[in-house]
Amino acid sequence: MEEHHSVNVTSVLSDASPHSTLSLESCEYYQTEIFDQLPSIQACRPGRSRQGVLGVCEAERGSPQPGEKRSDGHPWTRAPRDKASLQPLRNLAMCIEAKRGARVRRQMEISNIGYWESWRRSQSINRKRVWAQMRGSLSGMLPWKRTLRVIEGRFGVGVKAYFVFLRYLIYLNLLHCALVWGYILGPTTFYGRGNSSKPWRFGSKDSFLQFFNGSSYLNQSPVFYGFYTRGSLNFPCLHTPLLYFAGILTILFLSLAMVVRRMTVGLKHTWLLGKRYSVNVSYKIFRGWDFTIQDPAAGTLKQSFIRNDLKLFLEEQSFSQREAKRTLGQRVRLYLLRFILNVLVVSLLGGAFYLIFFATETSLEECGHGWFVSLFLQYLAPITITFVNLVLPNIFRKISSFEDYSLTTQVNTTIVRSIFLKLASLGIYLYFLFKTTKALEQHQCKENRFGREICKLSIFNFLAMFFKTFLLEFPRKLVQEKYPTSLLARRLGTQSFLITFNVLDLVYSQTVSWVGIYYCPLLPLIGIVTLVATFYIKKFTVLRCCVAEQRMFRATSSSVLFHFMLLLGLLMAAAALGFSLLQEEVTVDKMSSCGPFGNGETLYNVTGVCVDSLPSLAQSVLRYMASEAFAVPLILTEIIILTSYVSRGRVNQRAILRLEDMLVTSSSDKRFLVRQHTTMLRLQRELRRLRSASFREDAAPSVAGKTSRPPPPPPENEAD
Amino acid sequence: MGTTASQLGKDLLSEYQELTFLTKQEILLAHKRFTELLTKDEKDLPNARVPMERILTLQELKSNPFRKRICNVFSTSEQKDGSLTFEDFLDLLSAFSDSATLEIKSHYAFRIFDFDDDGTLDCGDLEKLVNCLTGETDDTRLTAEEMRQLINNILEESDIDKDGTVNLSEFQHVISRSPDFVSSFKIVL
Repeated sequence: MEEHHSVNVTSVLSDASPHSTLSLESCEYYQTEIFDQLPSIQACRPGRSRQGVLGVCEAERGSPQPGEKRSDGHPWTRAPRDKASLQPLRNLAMCIEAKRGARVRRQMEISNIGYWESWRRSQSINRKRVWAQMRGSLSGMLPWKRTLRVIEGRFGVGVKAYFVFLRYLIYLNLLHCALVWGYILGPTTFYGRGNSSKPWRFGSKDSFLQFFNGSSYLNQSPVFYGFYTRGSLNFPCLHTPLLYFAGILTILFLSLAMVVRRMTVGLKHTWLLGKRYSVNVSYKIFRGWDFTIQDPAAGTLKQSFIRNDLKLFLEEQSFSQREAKRTLGQRVRLYLLRFILNVLVVSLLGGAFYLIFFATETSLEECGHGWFVSLFLQYLAPITITFVNLVLPNIFRKISSFEDYSLTTQVNTTIVRSIFLKLASLGIYLYFLFKTTKALEQHQCKENRFGREICKLSIFNFLAMFFKTFLLEFPRKLVQEKYPTSLLARRLGTQSFLITFNVLDLVYSQTVSWVGIYYCPLLPLIGIVTLVATFYIKKFTVLRCCVAEQRMFRATSSSVLFHFMLLLGLLMAAAALGFSLLQEEVTVDKMSSCGPFGNGETLYNVTGVCVDSLPSLAQSVLRYMASEAFAVPLILTEIIILTSYVSRGRVNQRAILRLEDMLVTSSSDKRFLVRQHTTMLRLQRELRRLRSASFREDAAPSVAGKTSRPPPPPPENEAD
Repeated sequence: MGTTASQLGKDLLSEYQELTFLTKQEILLAHKRFTELLTKDEKDLPNARVPMERILTLQELKSNPFRKRICNVFSTSEQKDGSLTFEDFLDLLSAFSDSATLEIKSHYAFRIFDFDDDGTLDCGDLEKLVNCLTGETDDTRLTAEEMRQLINNILEESDIDKDGTVNLSEFQHVISRSPDFVSSFKIVL
């Protein structure tokens, strides 16, 4: 029996030894009593506790009057949480009763500290409250809150992100409008235009057709570049041409700043931090559920989405394992297939580009046709571009499914190809437009002509979207509703809202607007009208025609993608504008005959005159900044700043690694100590039991002769 | 003259505004919705508790797989039956409101996911969590093998101190890197 007992004690010991498996260890760890009393656990412990250590809410629940009495063992008073005392009460994670208590405690604290300090604190609280109220009322002014919530409830965060993006674009265009008014339209209306320009009125010989293709009446309207000639505002540094240019520049720079800012906010979270640690699965699990979902159908859908997503992840994990095991022959065959498909993609792109080129050329050749044909010809290029952009992305989507990539790569390649198609087709169109408009005769205003083409493009873009919704998507849905069993309906399948393609459309139209703003300053206004209409049309599409998608997008990562695409568009617009301005300089002999830079003036000589009129100090500063000598220090400073950031980032990374190590060691230390403590407790208890038992045996001589022997060992878990 | 009876007093209203993230309108709306859940007799009681079953009939919670956990976490009932008083209800709405901080939201998310209330997310909690997310019927559940692979993945990623469970700070560490958690951890009346 003696032997038996000692074996039992050692088994207790060995059970808690560091050699046991992880799960056993952690089980043991969390079931010990001392675990509940660890300060780190108490600080974040929810209200319920097992061992009589009162949790936050628990302590408050008993007291009917707030702040009547406070138990001394209250974790909040003991826990070293200095920063908590400065947080607003609502930021504390406890129930209202507990917050009341905290408030009373704080008030007492405040009466202890000096008058000045208490005044300062209450002031800071008041200030915060005012700010919060202002922010609340500002966010209350955001339009379409209700609609967004309905959409979010039915289709999840991803589709909502699309609409938020749309709203953001509307704001951006509103800002552009304000700037255009301030810089361009306002001065022109106040100070008038030059005498040389023709009066702007609706001529009797202007036909409806001419109004529609924007040749005569609109040509002289404020919509286009040609309208803004030098008026009575005629200081050396403050006149229409310079204001015009400054306005456009401000718009572009402001958009750049805004887009980059929006992008970096998301980027910081997804890339810079996410790259180092992959926490993909944890994300999927911990923030998987969208608590905004109210519709039971959407709820089940979300569940199936999460299930598919998780299965997809697990599949991709095994896919990468399978990929590593591919034989050489399989690999060669796959690469060959991919190569052929890529050739196919490239040839499709090439064909599309040729088609656009062809259409542009045909539409710019004017010849006597009937009015309908000529109107059609006028819009031929936009029609072609829109058509190509409608069809090809879907083909790309089909193609990428053959390439045996993992699913995320498939989606990404499709997106990249589509972006390339959209922006490149626009670029090609612009290039040919430049080339063909340059060949125009002298007396025609080629900037106006260019602006007109851009205007057409953006209007046609909108019309295409409109018709696609009401002639394609809505009838499709109707067919499905009326004849759900028919072959056609089954063939068509259900429609889902493809977020990325829709975003691409938006980015495209915004890019067109940026490209055209120099030639057609009222384009933002057109943009606002079309975007607002787009909002309602898309709302109709989503709520009426679409079912929620199986594969939803994450809001942040997708918003980074959206803004990245927008940035690409902006860069392209800026490049196109710079290119056209440079060309203007090169071909001085073919100077424009209209607009702010009409009478033999160019951007260079206008700014030159302005600089000359400045005081000499400013002049030399400006000249220095424009010279190459300035570039060297500029680049040097940039390099220094960049280097400092990079090295700081590296140091931080190293610190993170070290902290992580520290965490692991300290937690294993904690585990060890807890284990040690438990075994000691158990041993003590055993000993006490032994002693009391032997004492009892001593006291009872009827069992004499067995005194030396300990009683049978108690079952092990009795100690718990 | 209880809190849930008749109209909310002005002092109480401003106190609630101070202690929660809700605006005045939201508190009034919450009050309206809460009184609708009360039976006739309960309306006269000062601190009426609405049992969990009735809370779960709310449109906003109906299709949420965590609805019972939410009630349990926010309930201050001694019986731990998930029943809510009006103030508990406000606590719930405050944590799920638009303006609640990430810290508050992640704290409550952690408590909701901590099914056995032991202060850490262990394998059992994670399994229950995944089952809630994917649907709890037999054909929607992941297979045991998939579940094992998944939980191993989760622990490998987020269990920084390698103790086999995810604790609150590890959880908040993961959550803090996903700003859209704030936008999805939201229940608005």
